Amino acid sequence: MSKVTISITALFCLLNTAFVWGTDWQSSPTDSHLYFAPSYEGMPINGHFKQFSVSYQTDQQSQPSRLKVKVAIASADMGNSDINEAIRAVDWFNIANFPEAIFISEEFVTDTQGKLLAIGTLQLKGFVQPVTVPISWQSLPGGKAKMTGELLVGRNDFSIGSGEWASGEQIGLAVKIWFDVVFIASEIDL
Amino acid sequence: MPLENTAQHWGWLSKTLHWLTALLIFVQIPLGFYAESLKLSPLKMDVFVWHKSLGMLVFMLLILRLLWRIKGTIPEALESKRVQAGLARAAHGLLYGLMVLLPISGWITSSAANIPVKLFWLIPLPALVGPDDALKSLAAEVHEISVFVLLLILILHIGAALRHHLMLRDNVLRRMWF
Repeated sequence: MSKVTISITALFCLLNTAFVWGTDWQSSPTDSHLYFAPSYEGMPINGHFKQFSVSYQTDQQSQPSRLKVKVAIASADMGNSDINEAIRAVDWFNIANFPEAIFISEEFVTDTQGKLLAIGTLQLKGFVQPVTVPISWQSLPGGKAKMTGELLVGRNDFSIGSGEWASGEQIGLAVKIWFDVVFIASEIDL
Repeated sequence: MPLENTAQHWGWLSKTLHWLTALLIFVQIPLGFYAESLKLSPLKMDVFVWHKSLGMLVFMLLILRLLWRIKGTIPEALESKRVQAGLARAAHGLLYGLMVLLPISGWITSSAANIPVKLFWLIPLPALVGPDDALKSLAAEVHEISVFVLLLILILHIGAALRHHLMLRDNVLRRMWF
């Protein structure tokens, strides 16, 4: 390789890094998991969403700037076709009218233990409520990364399980949600 | 009344276990059909907790009965006709078999349906299998067929006891009473 080629390559690299706006991370559907577990008489019933997507943007300093999660509610699988059918009803997710849940955060803080928190809103079943998602971030080889976290969401905030279920006596009010999402990066150029 | 069975008499433990099981089964069968008929609701879930709790209780009483039977003796048959004695033995064998098959198939149905269970709202019942829709349907089918067979055998069992008591006027039913 001639000195000229090396110089030009170096110059391009320099220019390129200089103009990178940040990084756009998109979830890889095959490696990512989003779980949820309501409780029955204090015992968890595990389920997961088969279809969801997560996008995450970080700036030049690798600081988070935006997190967006979209979940197809009809893809909820609780390991029982009767339950999967029952939760479509108006009392539960009312899937016919509200097929999608969306979480958006553009505010990120670090708590006293050094944990990153995404402060945002969850739009679900026609309600928009503030929700904070704790995030752990881990770089993987090959330009990938993994995001994990766990939180509790109050189902009454979204009227999930209304009417005779609303008391939380049998089906608990707190629903555990946890995830491990694998991301593939692409640079955001100016 | 002696605790243990003899060649002529039932001891009080065997009698108590027999009638307690009988009582539980007579509650259990309508409870199961009732639970099944309800639409998904907190009531349905509570009725099922009762059904599962009583079912496991019958199962535990059965294990106790079998151990007691193996350990001790049972009274000789009062029926002298060979065909009737054979039928009675077969019916008793079937009753024991169904009292194993019903709780186990119910337990598998509940586990495969991914429903956690706390017996009497107190004792967590471990899952026998993981979530599995096909297995759930199969086990539920076995459970349902078993209960109809049980009803049939119970009619024979009760009918035979009454026939001995009312028509043959022997001690078959009386010696099972206290």
